[in-house]
Amino acid sequence: MSVQEHVRRDRWADANLLEREIERVFSVSWQYLAHETEIPEPGDYVLRRMGRDQVIVARDEEGHIRVHLNTCRHRGVPLCRADSGNSSHFRCSYHGWTYANTGELRGVTFQRDVYGTDGIDKSQLALHSPAQVGSAHGLIFANWAEDAPSLDEYLGELDWYLAAVFDKYPEGLEVVGTPVRNVIRANWKTEGENLSGDGYHTMVTHASALELGLFATQKDLVKLSEELEPSFTGRTVTTRYGHSIRVQRLPLVLKGNHYFGYPEAMWPGFDERLDPAQQGMMSALSVAHGSIFPNMSFIENFKTNVDGPDLHARYIRITVRYPIDATSSEQLWFYLRPRGADAEWARLSHLAYLRTNGPSGLFELDDTENFVGISSASSGDVAKALPIVLDGGYHHTPTPASVGWPGDVVDGDRTERTIRNFHRRWGELMDTEANGGER
Amino acid sequence: MNPTSAPNGEWRERSAESAERVSDYEYAAICQFLYTEAEALDNRDYEAWVELVSDDFTYLVPTPRTPDNPFSPHWDERALLIDESKWSLKAQWFRRFDKDVYEMAWGDNPPVRFRHMITNVRVRWLTVPSSLEVKSNVLLSGTRQSDLPKFLTAERTDTLRWIHGRLQLVRRWVVLDQVLIDFPQLRIIL
Repeated sequence: MSVQEHVRRDRWADANLLEREIERVFSVSWQYLAHETEIPEPGDYVLRRMGRDQVIVARDEEGHIRVHLNTCRHRGVPLCRADSGNSSHFRCSYHGWTYANTGELRGVTFQRDVYGTDGIDKSQLALHSPAQVGSAHGLIFANWAEDAPSLDEYLGELDWYLAAVFDKYPEGLEVVGTPVRNVIRANWKTEGENLSGDGYHTMVTHASALELGLFATQKDLVKLSEELEPSFTGRTVTTRYGHSIRVQRLPLVLKGNHYFGYPEAMWPGFDERLDPAQQGMMSALSVAHGSIFPNMSFIENFKTNVDGPDLHARYIRITVRYPIDATSSEQLWFYLRPRGADAEWARLSHLAYLRTNGPSGLFELDDTENFVGISSASSGDVAKALPIVLDGGYHHTPTPASVGWPGDVVDGDRTERTIRNFHRRWGELMDTEANGGER
Repeated sequence: MNPTSAPNGEWRERSAESAERVSDYEYAAICQFLYTEAEALDNRDYEAWVELVSDDFTYLVPTPRTPDNPFSPHWDERALLIDESKWSLKAQWFRRFDKDVYEMAWGDNPPVRFRHMITNVRVRWLTVPSSLEVKSNVLLSGTRQSDLPKFLTAERTDTLRWIHGRLQLVRRWVVLDQVLIDFPQLRIIL
């Protein structure tokens, strides 16, 4: 086939493009901030970023979620300097202006001395906050743009998949502890593109993981079912606004639902909370991973032999990437655990995460090398104008509607269609042809 | 509350009575052990390194954080950066350097060059027979390809055991100082 896509490589290295992304992508896109279980009590807060701006994500005294820029309206000093905590008020360290966690300015020190007998109009000086804050399945997002579509509309058909991943636990799912944060010497888009649905890289990038037994192989599969299918099968789903997901199934012939990687005691709960099509997606799942445009990704993954032979488990992870400059980003790593889960399984699930796709995990080590490489090579003056190839998967056939999966679904996951979908949205916002590259 | 990292996740009071001093001879042997172990890591001589750790060895790195008060620990042990055993290190880390795997172990090929600088070694006997708590400070440099080196500082709390006249590393607990970690890779033995 002849190459049709012509995305220029400067997207992964150009400082001016990053400035344009901040202006045109981060200013109007819903951005993932936190999971509701990170701030369960009134007064709880965590610090996060929207683009390059630091924000406080707080639960106010009435239980509502509030998001504020972490900077005093007076002279700009950050109000919170810890990563997380609990406080009904935030006090500035410079002149002591005090805000309620709703954002309202409550106290200005020496007000009459400084601003005269009438004082200063505090009602004009609440903390600066995004125009919209919303949550879905425990996931908190915010958006600076008043005229942006609602979060419901933004997530659209992806919501059904998010429910299958995040909302199938009768007692809920929670983030465990503080996120690991690290600097990755790669453009902020690289890892999200991969997690959007790149089922093509796995056998090469992660060849050593296969050798080391962390992927289910014939040896493991025959113990899960008497009858095997000829090979793993995968689907990819793209939705409006640049989101996507890839779902790969273990090649097992099974009667009924088998949520391998979870204790059997948890299975009936899944049957209850998932519709039949979602059950089909989650039963015998090998991996489901996707990206929510622009910078959040999630994965639910079945990993084998993680703490010795036959010790398999699934885990759920969320990652977010904040741009630092064109070729470096800050990544946050969240491990999520179903509430009330069996302790021994929970230990195994945590190890399944840490040892494969955790920040020190084997898969991440090899993936990151690619992302760093892309960013570094694309900084070259000749290289930056070259196109990349994104034509994979055009021939994959649509999944029959009878399967019941929403969105634009195809049978096939060795593909580049999810990355094309990301760049189509990116191009719309950047006012650049998705496959043109001229600006 | 005393913000001293405890190997078993409990708070411990440090007092003159509990910190029974080891002899100078034992102190020297422990330092030698730490340097030998670091040398094996820096040289990627993992065969030699696994001989220095016990079969029930555990290696834990909690997640560093900035807490909202100076009396809380600057790490979170619910969330971990690393949780490994002797088995997992052999089967999933060191196996990557075997000849049949190395060519596809992209993140370790070429390997990041590590250098351990170990100082401030503090030793005391534990109540468990023949067991010692050894605290040390570590500065780890990591250099990837032609990049400039990156550095991490941390406090290690090791449990060492005398067994048949030899020392063995039984447990390593490492508290990092850097919260936003900037290092060539996080698959590291500090």
